[in-house]
Amino acid sequence: MRRLIILLFSGLVLFGASCARFHNAPTDSKDARYVVISPIYNEVIWALGAQNTVVGIDLSTTYPPEVKNVQTVGYHRALSAEGILSLHPTAIIHDNNIGPPQVVQQLQQLNIPMKTFTAKNDSCDGAKALIREMGAYFHKESRAEELCNTLDTQRTASLEKVKQYTDHPRVAVIHFGRASNVYLVVGKGSGGDGGGVSQIIELAGGEMAVENTGRGMQRMESPEIIAKANPDVILLTDYGYDRLGGATDQIKALPGVATSNAARDNRIFRIEENVLNYFGPRSGENIAKVAEIIHKK
Amino acid sequence: MTTQHGRRQLILIALVAVSLLVLIASIRYGAIDFSMTEISRALTSLLPGRPEPTLDQRIFLELRFPRAILCLLVGASLGVGGTLMQALFRNPIVEPGLVGTSSGAAFGSALFFVLGGVFHIGTSLWSLPVAACAGGIISTYLVFLLARPREDGRASIVMLLLTGLAVNALFMSAIGFLSYIARDPQARSITFWSLGTLSGASWKAVEIVALSTILGSIVAVRYAKQLNALMIGEEEATYLGVNVNRLKWIILSVNVVIVAVATAFTGVISFVGLVVPHILRMLGGADNRFLIVGSALTGATLLTLADLIARLSVRPAELPIGIVTSAVGVPVFIFLLRRRQYVF
Amino acid sequence: MLVGRNITFRVGSKDLISDISASFAPGGLHLIVGPNGAGKSTLVKVLARLLHPQSGTVEYEGADVSHATEAELAKRRAVLSQAIEIAFPLTVREVVLMGRYPHFSGRPGPTDEQIVDEVMEHFDVTEFKDRYYQSLSGGERQRVNFARVLAQLWSHSAIDSCRYLFLDEPLTFLDIRHQIDFMKRIRSFTNAADVVTVGVVHDLNLAARFADQILMLDGGRIVANGAPSEVLTPERIRQVFGVEPTMVQTGDAGIHLIFN
Repeated sequence: MRRLIILLFSGLVLFGASCARFHNAPTDSKDARYVVISPIYNEVIWALGAQNTVVGIDLSTTYPPEVKNVQTVGYHRALSAEGILSLHPTAIIHDNNIGPPQVVQQLQQLNIPMKTFTAKNDSCDGAKALIREMGAYFHKESRAEELCNTLDTQRTASLEKVKQYTDHPRVAVIHFGRASNVYLVVGKGSGGDGGGVSQIIELAGGEMAVENTGRGMQRMESPEIIAKANPDVILLTDYGYDRLGGATDQIKALPGVATSNAARDNRIFRIEENVLNYFGPRSGENIAKVAEIIHKK
Repeated sequence: MTTQHGRRQLILIALVAVSLLVLIASIRYGAIDFSMTEISRALTSLLPGRPEPTLDQRIFLELRFPRAILCLLVGASLGVGGTLMQALFRNPIVEPGLVGTSSGAAFGSALFFVLGGVFHIGTSLWSLPVAACAGGIISTYLVFLLARPREDGRASIVMLLLTGLAVNALFMSAIGFLSYIARDPQARSITFWSLGTLSGASWKAVEIVALSTILGSIVAVRYAKQLNALMIGEEEATYLGVNVNRLKWIILSVNVVIVAVATAFTGVISFVGLVVPHILRMLGGADNRFLIVGSALTGATLLTLADLIARLSVRPAELPIGIVTSAVGVPVFIFLLRRRQYVF
Repeated sequence: MLVGRNITFRVGSKDLISDISASFAPGGLHLIVGPNGAGKSTLVKVLARLLHPQSGTVEYEGADVSHATEAELAKRRAVLSQAIEIAFPLTVREVVLMGRYPHFSGRPGPTDEQIVDEVMEHFDVTEFKDRYYQSLSGGERQRVNFARVLAQLWSHSAIDSCRYLFLDEPLTFLDIRHQIDFMKRIRSFTNAADVVTVGVVHDLNLAARFADQILMLDGGRIVANGAPSEVLTPERIRQVFGVEPTMVQTGDAGIHLIFN
């Protein structure tokens, strides 16, 4: 009996293993169907008005609010090939930050078209380049130009507004890393895409309180990180803030927070990740928004 | 004896039937549901002269089918691993996850990824299971040595579980350390691994795991009679003609290899090895030959069911499978601990 | 015939038994007695080849057994120890069947099954055969173990070598009725012409009643070796065990000892 079982299994396995060679296969649908795994790309697509081509988004995409209507394929580093493919995409658009590696390999093996845009949204100008590149891809060039112009106008206006503030508060930004399930502190010069956090804070008239150790965002294990920096303002991105229910005493319980000026003056605020963490179409006005929050007394 | 024997045969046949049913469910349902006609079309597309398979068919042939088979194989190895470990330690409350084998194997795999990134070692699919085995061997032997046996040769189960706890903590924190020093993308992979997933299944993985599982199980069954003798004591087993030391080394090695190779491809999946032999014993008694074959079948079935839940409950996203097995396994573990029947 | 020559077994720097030489003929019951720590259990384990002596030899029918394989020895040598603890649900029949393990590979043959049935019958455990070993009382369990051990040595046809039965304090945990019952069964088995039986007991009265030969050990050395009446003298008992015995002669040359 046992021998029979072993034989059956071996047969099945050998049969399956021999099916390992495949050639290019055409996709089945004619219209464009994109699975877009990147918060900034999705925001731009919606801003361009090309959202009807998007059939799947990742868990971290939260803006604009309408994205809720689209299927999510899970956390961008915990994807499942089948899950994505069940939406029958004609291409997967991502910003080189997807995983696990085996799943990426599987998608490549199946010759699924994968697209990454070359422009990096690491500054306002970078954001404009990205908007234009995506505008060309989605055939929404004129809309892209509109967005760029709006960005420029709003940026100029924001920077004017910022000049009005006389103080330069020291700001610490705390982000919640969902893959590692820990709170992270953003160091100077880093954060989000291409150091967007740091730059936006500085454009908004603030100063990054925590030095950059060269490791990007650091874990908050040591209370010294925040305590030494002694920020005037602490910003928590939305997920991390909501996770503690917005309870100030719980936030103050995070390592090093309680002794800071920010805790003393109750200048601890929530901020949307999609406002602070990257440069995008709304960055022009976001600068002013952030400035308002950090200068709030 | 004949009635017990006959009953066991029946149970095994029933288990084969159930596992086939579950296999069919597994290849049919998921983020994409395949009907039986679609499946047969996908399979026939492999025959020469047929048109190229469509994307959906390729999804079935390259993602779904190997995953379903891998699930059976990994479930079987974990089930057999549990049986062997319980026979070896002569206690029904041990399993590879609890005594450090799985976490050691995960550490070996994690180290492999990190070093591979640093030294650009070729990430050949064969070197990964070797690294996992090395890790699993170190952690298991550590537990074996540290859990000092009592006079009657049996390791005190309390010592065993505590040592296993300590070794698990050691290796999981080592993995944590690796994720700290590693560059970001690898770090996240490592964290993700400790919850287990079948999403990386490929036919290559199936080949390797099939080799270790089938060979390991065959060797295990060959020593089933000697493991039975071990149940009444090491001295007694010696008097019955068993070379106890040799048996221990062989079984421990087989056990570590089949569990480590499976863990190398799926991450740490706990509690399967604990629950499966227990179920079998309730059904048909403690004969190891019956247990080993039965555990392979039951483990395969249960893990496939867990994977179905992992894939269906939040589709098109997926739950890590370790969450599902722990959700079921932990209550069972606590229940087993509280039963008066077991001797400590 | 079982012969031990100049056996010394050492652990660390301590000799548990030193320079012991004795021979045990088939067809009789040989019992080893002595105070705690005298080395009785150690001697039995060496004679049964569980332990290897640092010096000296053990011979089964003139052949040195130190080179024999476990599997080969197990066909003609069996050991009954104190009650074993089993953590798994094994039925009585499964436990008794283990006694036949040295005699078959793979599945048991019809002879093995038949022997198991006979042996269970002989020890009145057939009624328990499908019950779990764990559910039995101490006395019942030892009967099952005895059945298993004898199943290992049971043979239908005449074999050309002796069979060796060792008993390592098998009466522990048994009440008086079971102790006597056991000794009687052992006696009936050991009467076979090709069986060498060597056992360890604590109770000197049982030894006096059932043994053909008594080997008395003290501090790892032989103090006396011979018939019960020769070995169990008051002076010797006083000297070795440190108790004051009164000897009572019962009918047919039996001895009974009463202690103060």
